[in-house]
Amino acid sequence: MGTTLVGSSPLFLQSGLVPRGSRIIVFESIFEVFLLLGTLVGVVVIGYMLYNAYKYRSGATKGDEEVGDRPVLGELPTGSGGGRKLATSFFMSMIIVVSLISWTYLTLLYVEEGPSADNSLDIEAEGYQFGWRFTYPNGHTTDGVLRIPAEQPVRLQVTSADVFHNFGIPELRVKTDAIPGQETETWFVANETGTYTAQCYELCGAGHSYMSAEVIVMPPDEYEEWYESTGNGSSESVSTENQTAFVEARPA
Amino acid sequence: MSDTDPERTDGGTEVGSEVVAGGHEDDHDHGHDFPGTGSIKRWFVTTNHKDVGILYIVTSLFFLVLGGVLAWLMRIQLWAPRAPGETILAPVAYNQAVSAHGLLMVFWFLSPFAFGFANYIVPLQLGAKDLAFPRLNALSYWLYLFSGILFGVSFFQGGTFSGGWTMYAPLNVPTFTPDVGASTAVLALVLFVASVTVSSVNFLTTMHRMRAEGLTLRNMPLFSWTILLTVWMMLFAFAALLAALMVLSADRLLGTTYFAMESPAGALLWTHLFWFFGHPEVYIVFFPALGVMAEVFQTFTGRRIVGRKWFIIAMVLVAIQSFVVWMHHMFLTSINLQVKTLFMITTIGISLPFDLMVFALIYTMLKGKIRFTTPFLFVFGALLLFIIGGITGVFLGAVVLDYEFRGTYWVVAHFHYVMVGGVTALVGGLYYWFPKITGRMYDEFLGKVHFAAYFVGFNLLYFPLFVAWETPRRVFDYAPELAPWHQLATIGGFVLGLSFLIMFYNLFKSAFTGDPVSDNPWEYATTAEWAVSSPPPLENFEGTPTYRDGHLSFILDRESDVTGGATAADGSGGATAGGGVATSPHTAVTTEYEPTVEATEVEGPSHASIWPFVLSLGAFLILLGISPLQDAAFPEGMMGAAYATTAVAGFGVTLGSLIAMGLEPFHGPVFDEGEAWPFSGIDNGKVGMWIFLASDVVLFGGFLGAYIFTRFAFGWTGWQPVPDDPIPGLVNTYILLTSSFTVVLALVAAEKKHKLGLVTSLGATFVLGIGFLVNKALEWQHLFHEGLWLSTNVRTSTFFLTTGLHAAHVIAGLIIALYLTARAWRGAYLEDNRSVEYFGLYWHFVDIVWLFLFPLFYIL
Repeated sequence: MGTTLVGSSPLFLQSGLVPRGSRIIVFESIFEVFLLLGTLVGVVVIGYMLYNAYKYRSGATKGDEEVGDRPVLGELPTGSGGGRKLATSFFMSMIIVVSLISWTYLTLLYVEEGPSADNSLDIEAEGYQFGWRFTYPNGHTTDGVLRIPAEQPVRLQVTSADVFHNFGIPELRVKTDAIPGQETETWFVANETGTYTAQCYELCGAGHSYMSAEVIVMPPDEYEEWYESTGNGSSESVSTENQTAFVEARPA
Repeated sequence: MSDTDPERTDGGTEVGSEVVAGGHEDDHDHGHDFPGTGSIKRWFVTTNHKDVGILYIVTSLFFLVLGGVLAWLMRIQLWAPRAPGETILAPVAYNQAVSAHGLLMVFWFLSPFAFGFANYIVPLQLGAKDLAFPRLNALSYWLYLFSGILFGVSFFQGGTFSGGWTMYAPLNVPTFTPDVGASTAVLALVLFVASVTVSSVNFLTTMHRMRAEGLTLRNMPLFSWTILLTVWMMLFAFAALLAALMVLSADRLLGTTYFAMESPAGALLWTHLFWFFGHPEVYIVFFPALGVMAEVFQTFTGRRIVGRKWFIIAMVLVAIQSFVVWMHHMFLTSINLQVKTLFMITTIGISLPFDLMVFALIYTMLKGKIRFTTPFLFVFGALLLFIIGGITGVFLGAVVLDYEFRGTYWVVAHFHYVMVGGVTALVGGLYYWFPKITGRMYDEFLGKVHFAAYFVGFNLLYFPLFVAWETPRRVFDYAPELAPWHQLATIGGFVLGLSFLIMFYNLFKSAFTGDPVSDNPWEYATTAEWAVSSPPPLENFEGTPTYRDGHLSFILDRESDVTGGATAADGSGGATAGGGVATSPHTAVTTEYEPTVEATEVEGPSHASIWPFVLSLGAFLILLGISPLQDAAFPEGMMGAAYATTAVAGFGVTLGSLIAMGLEPFHGPVFDEGEAWPFSGIDNGKVGMWIFLASDVVLFGGFLGAYIFTRFAFGWTGWQPVPDDPIPGLVNTYILLTSSFTVVLALVAAEKKHKLGLVTSLGATFVLGIGFLVNKALEWQHLFHEGLWLSTNVRTSTFFLTTGLHAAHVIAGLIIALYLTARAWRGAYLEDNRSVEYFGLYWHFVDIVWLFLFPLFYIL
């Protein structure tokens, strides 16, 4: 599958340095590196801070002999020396941050390019207070459930019928805003069959907590079978338990 | 205290109590009608920057408690995932708690808390006797308080705003959030922004114009530097927010359709307007904390900051860049890859200066003599928390990761580490300046206990949120396996909140019974607030502070030059020097200064005015009165009548207090011009007017930007101008241009002391302005007759609202013109024509705005 996705990608995307594949792989591999480096930098910096706070505590007064010149009330503010050290640490941090971000930028290019139109499934998603509607290429619409085949890239065109929502399937690492009057695009691919949950990630009103949809990833042949059975303009509606309960719980 | 020489403490005590007494005497000497600090009345009339600072601090702590209780409600709800029907707060109530918590903490607690210190400390650090416009300073405070009360009222009008602190459109319009309280909350924000704007103008004028001799910008203490940059950011960012809020208010109250669901790009327009303000706001909130960190680090490590120049440059860069990163909040909207790339780069660019600042603070500790007092502990803790907040922020800068973190608790945890990290530093600032403000020392042991509880509570609350980051924001039905982390967080929330009880107890008790302190209880403090008594006298300094010899000294009026500064004595040890300052100038001063006071009694600076309070009350009543408007109509029946009456009464009170304020004899602080770059030689009032107009430019910029953005989304060429006939607009252009000319004539007449010419020219301006409004009214009448109304479509909405905002500026100008004419008739302005000049500036600005509006709304 990976090869089909990056067929037209520039060389640097194929070098192996830049994570590619499903959005899960992309996210996990970058997140791991960030977590590792972030923890490392955090431990070093905070450790250094604590060490020096202890070393130069007032009781130790080692500093006094080294620096006789302490600040005096009423002086015009000036700085202490140590500029070289400051510059060195600054440039080191700059190199770390800039190289990390540049590295992820290459992945961003890959993610933004998305799968090619030929082998992907295009689905429109529309958020409303408080659920999700999906429209397939043949005009079939479903409400509250998204069926997709495993292993095939899915391209989503997302919009909203009322307020600002955000469509996300956390386990498949796909997310995009659902904005009234606008269309946003995103893509994902599910390699494993099963049932996932799509959720709203932008506060959209009373039912925000329960605004979810079922995402059913089917084996490709089963999916084909199901898709053939859907006619032009037909529709199906599956409310999740929560949604129904919520709607009932709402005051009239 | 372990770190203070006992001998000195004793000495300090004596001096301290003497000074306190002196301070009180001072109050009585100066105040014609100025009651002492014990009197309730004083707190309603005071315009003194130190009093206003105390009011800000106390009030903001009240809002901290309110916002904190709302947070507790949320944390209780989040103890376990809540299925429908099992919630503790109803879903809408939870959304209200989330929204109100965010709004209260960001607007009504954080910035005002920091500005309490700014009010109290900045004039002292600058060597000014007060802010440039003391009554405006009191006005900022009262507007702030009343805006907070108005927000409180919103809870009782069917429920407050429930669309999140980001107030995304179109959830923020009445179609989706119909409660009157939601409108009131928006209006409360408008009032808050008014307070901020007044305050920004005041601080900028003061900080640029009223620095002691030798205190160039480059030499300013770091806390003052952070406030200066904060206020510049505030001036522009809050003007953009004001535009957004005024449009939103119009959508809610008058029925315009900018953000309506059907609007071509309403939702996106809001995100642009909001985040253009919202990102600078992050630094507006954080910079003062950074300033506190820098001051407290220097004092308690006994070291001057490493790389001071670079530290300042880094902050200036951040302040400027903060206006070009807003779209990183919108990476998942429909913006394209090029824009994303640009904003990713600016975002990384703005994070780097912070690395430098953090390293500078850490390296300042080296070779120090660090004393772990309560202020230092809090500030040290704040830096540690900020480092964690910063590192987790870099994750968000990687767009691919941001895609997945969007709308999750990663964001929540990150910004709480940064924001509440900032609060941690400000709490350190409260302990740091407490002895200066009250003249008494807090209990060090309880302070340390507070820090321990606070720091544990903080991390217990926010760190688990990183672990449970997959939880979607503002959702209470989360994945069950995350529940233990949320329970930890809830426990932490209570520890953090309750830790403040220790602080309240400690500070309240110490304010009355703590050990009296000397001028400077902290060894190695350098800034000028520590060179005056604790608390400082009403007008801050005996004598004029100057740095012309490279250190602080005071020039007394009679005596030529008495060296005050800490540099007295041998300068070998800070401690002895500190003691020395406290005694010598004060004994000298109490004898030398008094005659001067009497001499200037007649024209001495004023410190009391009730009108800022009354004016704010009036503004409060107006906004409360119009809160139930829908489609520009009051609701039917008694309720509507009561609201309408409130609005009318509020209008009367506002207008009356404005006039009273204009007529009230009030003398601002006298100052000998010291450093005033870049406004030396320009009058304070003029500088203030220019700065205000700069913010007004951004306000109109916001409106015009909204118009152009909407029109592009609609299709530029398909959009016909609303008035089919541009002639009335053209006539109005000529009328306004002529009126600009008559204002110039008025000033010339005033300069020539030609009373009749002055009255005639001002009168002509007034008549021309009326002509403009009458012509506009006829034009609008005609349009209404054709069935075009504010709510008809987005074209009419933008037309009526933008030109309406301009008309409101004209009306305000005419009220001033009428007032000026009346006073000129009675012989005013011939000696001092500055009021006419400032009015002229304003009037020209209003005319220039029209020159932009006319082609945009009538021709193109």
